[in-house]
Amino acid sequence: MGRPLDESDLIGRARRGDTHAYEELVHAHQGIAFRTAYVIAGNAADAEDAAQDGFVKAWRALGRFREGAPFRPWLLQIVANEARNRRRSTGRRAHLALRAATEQPSGDAAPSPEASLLSAELRTALLAAVNDLPEDQRTVIALRFFVGLSEHEVAEALSLPEGTVKSRSARALERLRASYD
Amino acid sequence: MTELERALVALGRELDIPAGPDLRSRVRERIERKPRRRRAVVLAVALLTALGIALAVPPARSAILRFFHIGSVTIERVETLPHAQERSLVAGLGPPLSLREAEKIAGVALVLNAPRPRRFYAQPGLIATLLHYRGTSVLLAELQGDQMGLTKKLAGPGTTVEPAPIGSFGLWLEGGKHVLMWSAASGEIRQMERRLAGNVLIWTEGNRTYRLEGGLNMGQMVELGRQITR
Repeated sequence: MGRPLDESDLIGRARRGDTHAYEELVHAHQGIAFRTAYVIAGNAADAEDAAQDGFVKAWRALGRFREGAPFRPWLLQIVANEARNRRRSTGRRAHLALRAATEQPSGDAAPSPEASLLSAELRTALLAAVNDLPEDQRTVIALRFFVGLSEHEVAEALSLPEGTVKSRSARALERLRASYD
Repeated sequence: MTELERALVALGRELDIPAGPDLRSRVRERIERKPRRRRAVVLAVALLTALGIALAVPPARSAILRFFHIGSVTIERVETLPHAQERSLVAGLGPPLSLREAEKIAGVALVLNAPRPRRFYAQPGLIATLLHYRGTSVLLAELQGDQMGLTKKLAGPGTTVEPAPIGSFGLWLEGGKHVLMWSAASGEIRQMERRLAGNVLIWTEGNRTYRLEGGLNMGQMVELGRQITR
């Protein structure tokens, strides 16, 4: 068996029409693509459609992908766009909810050290405050902290200048601090 | 990272976000369909080229010389244009509506990757809105499916029709007088609306036909069209 291909090799092969190489890229990024779509669209069905359509559109746009650029933010921009279109078409706000109290986080035998920071009451209050944020601020917070994107990646995904992401994030955190303190 | 930011990260781990599905097989199935689709597009372009050549020969005496379908739009080249007047871009499309009302009447969810206007227009199977781009008003209409006859376009001899580089298949209509006709619902009554149309870009993408009309050139219109569906 040969060495695992790195991402730029896979992208190069995919650009030349290799669907197996693209399948590996889908495998590598489908988790974060779905999660990104979910926090924007607010439900699993739309998130799944958005992620799937995003991968298909990204394949068709590979010819325009800038060689050497990171693939993930470029892909997430397409997926986020798909998710936003679905959310707008339903006219619903995305509303995130906590996992049922009896369930453990998937793959974790015990609550993470970070999770133990939060009491159940505080979790509920903080999430309610996040859900109450204006849509543009809520999306930035969700992508930054719930999906785990960097500010640069959030900016790419939302097609915004990084400064706008920083200012939205700062305003949102200021509002959330009132619920947290 | 502040304590609040750490708390948000912790909260993210507690959210009820389902594990995403494995999309590999479905994505692969869709992207491998493309060669067949590309052949279909090549065939459509060949047909269009043939149509262009046919239109270049002296006009025949039949009333309807040629016609062409793209998505939900039919283009017919006729000897004599039906009577029509200059009217506003949204004339005959019904009253202005909120997006939610328009999507409900149209049964079509608007695709628009740009700031949303406030007013929308709808007919069953069609949703429309006015965009302002490069200082001019442009009518965006989106039609679901490929039902022919929902909208008809009649082009006079002075109108050029050429392929446009957008979507699965695009056409650009410019110059001369051409008449837009469509069947519109007014209460229980359906009536034929008609008006003189400006430059038009029509393209299909997925199961949808897009139509942009206004005073832009083809390059500008394609630029706008690509932004809408980006």
